[in-house]
Amino acid sequence: MYVLGIESTSHTFGVGIVEYDGKDRVRILSNVSDQYKPLSGGIHPREAAIHHTRIAPLILKKALKEASLSLREIDVYAIALGPGLGPCLRVGASIARFLASYYKKPLIPVNHAVAHIEIGKFINKFKDPVVLYVSGGNTLVAVQRKSRYRVLGETLDIPLGNMFDTFTREIGLAPPYVVDGKHKIDICAEWGSEFISLPYTVKGSDLSFSGLLTAALNLARKHIGNKEMIGNICLSVREIAFNMLVEVTERALVLTRKHEVLLVGGVASNRCLRTKLETMAKHHKSTYGGTPIEYAGDNGAMIAYTGLLAYIHGIAVKPEDAFIRQRWRVDEVDLPWLKNY
Amino acid sequence: MVKELLEFVEEGAEAVVFTGYMLGNKVIVKQRIRKPYRDQRFDEIFRYTRTKTEAKILAELFLKGLNVPAPLIVDIDKYLIVMEYIEGRKLVDIINETSENKIAKIATELGVQVGKMHSQNIYHGDLTLGNIILSVDGHVYLIDFGLAGYSRDIEEYAIDLHLLRRSLMAIVPEKFEVFFGNFLLGYRNGYPQKYQEVINRLEEIKLRGRYVEERLKKIRGERYSE
Repeated sequence: MYVLGIESTSHTFGVGIVEYDGKDRVRILSNVSDQYKPLSGGIHPREAAIHHTRIAPLILKKALKEASLSLREIDVYAIALGPGLGPCLRVGASIARFLASYYKKPLIPVNHAVAHIEIGKFINKFKDPVVLYVSGGNTLVAVQRKSRYRVLGETLDIPLGNMFDTFTREIGLAPPYVVDGKHKIDICAEWGSEFISLPYTVKGSDLSFSGLLTAALNLARKHIGNKEMIGNICLSVREIAFNMLVEVTERALVLTRKHEVLLVGGVASNRCLRTKLETMAKHHKSTYGGTPIEYAGDNGAMIAYTGLLAYIHGIAVKPEDAFIRQRWRVDEVDLPWLKNY
Repeated sequence: MVKELLEFVEEGAEAVVFTGYMLGNKVIVKQRIRKPYRDQRFDEIFRYTRTKTEAKILAELFLKGLNVPAPLIVDIDKYLIVMEYIEGRKLVDIINETSENKIAKIATELGVQVGKMHSQNIYHGDLTLGNIILSVDGHVYLIDFGLAGYSRDIEEYAIDLHLLRRSLMAIVPEKFEVFFGNFLLGYRNGYPQKYQEVINRLEEIKLRGRYVEERLKKIRGERYSE
């Protein structure tokens, strides 16, 4: 059986195809995507949607070619219906609705955040991890329990990726935000060596990054052009933000007494965060699992894989009922495959 | 303290915990240890302030008659607190096997304790099932005050309730209603003056998370549509 998944919640348009042998073997056959990159400023939802519309046929063809399949051979279509940016979501949803109804195949709704977690579990062969999900749009710690992911802690204001993007943009280092797979904050942190004290805000297991961002920006604006000082600020912003994340993950791990720590989402490819989290996990005799870069950022394969899980458990939606959901929390989705946790 | 006389109990998220004896009484020795993932300068500030906070607040709550272990010795330079040993178990470890009747009783007493704590303008900062002990004589004790603090802002009190709610949903979602319902009954008794304000704020906090649909409905009101 072949499942084709479409991702278009934000800046990435992606198509992935997975193969299922009907028993226990799942293989990712292709995972193709293209990112909208703004020339200045952040993501403009309409511009991103226009990008997706233009690139969609090409990405779809490429994904099919890599998997050596034609559309007729696809058995199930999966679509990320949310959460995300409205105009972007509509592009993917329109394509998926069309394909499913034209070829008369089941259409599976997938929550984008759930997909990030499921692909991470799949790659690491994890059963029951404490999940740290960090990306441009999300920052949360979750565990699975009784058919749902339960959020133990999350950001109260802006997500971490968003904070790094805003900071580097406001001090004139971005866009582009990522160069050769490295975020500008990491490049900038290499210029620094001194640690500067900045606000550290952990409320129980929730996090807040806006105070850190404001304090860092105020300081940085006084030192524009001073490469070393800007480097020190980047280094400290990153150090503090990551320590906050590791601390809440550590609390969740100790509280729930689990033995796996999983890092997913776009920021999962950050080496500094990875190292810190791995050190923490080892310290608590737990197994650490990260996500390789092609599955860490937004991608179609994670939608296809999660769509497969949902399809096996009888979840599907009629194309005419497949509405997008800009707001759709990870802890609002009932997931039958988590029933026994 | 002679290390050989100490018995290792557990390593928590922040500290290592031992039991030992002082003048014939069983005590808990809690020491905040260095975190290998944390920058060292940073780490020392952390351990220092959190040890100090915990000691100060334990002492105050104990003197006010709340159910907390009595602090006995504080050595801030070693990031260490020696406190009374409470014979019992953490709620997180027993809640799955506890009957609904017993949960109702525990939750009510917890509500009273937390309400009394808030009425002293003190918040806990990490109120989860891992930081509540049910003693063998059936009473509820609060522990781990490293993130606690003094505040007159009801926001902090509402966050305590929010954290408790979260930890119930993650650990025993099927017992959430009975636990939290009874907790609120107790809380109203422990802190009648600000009860309604705290509850209202608690609802507000829930709407602050990412991608909360209700918030959109609230902002757009009548104009909201799917």
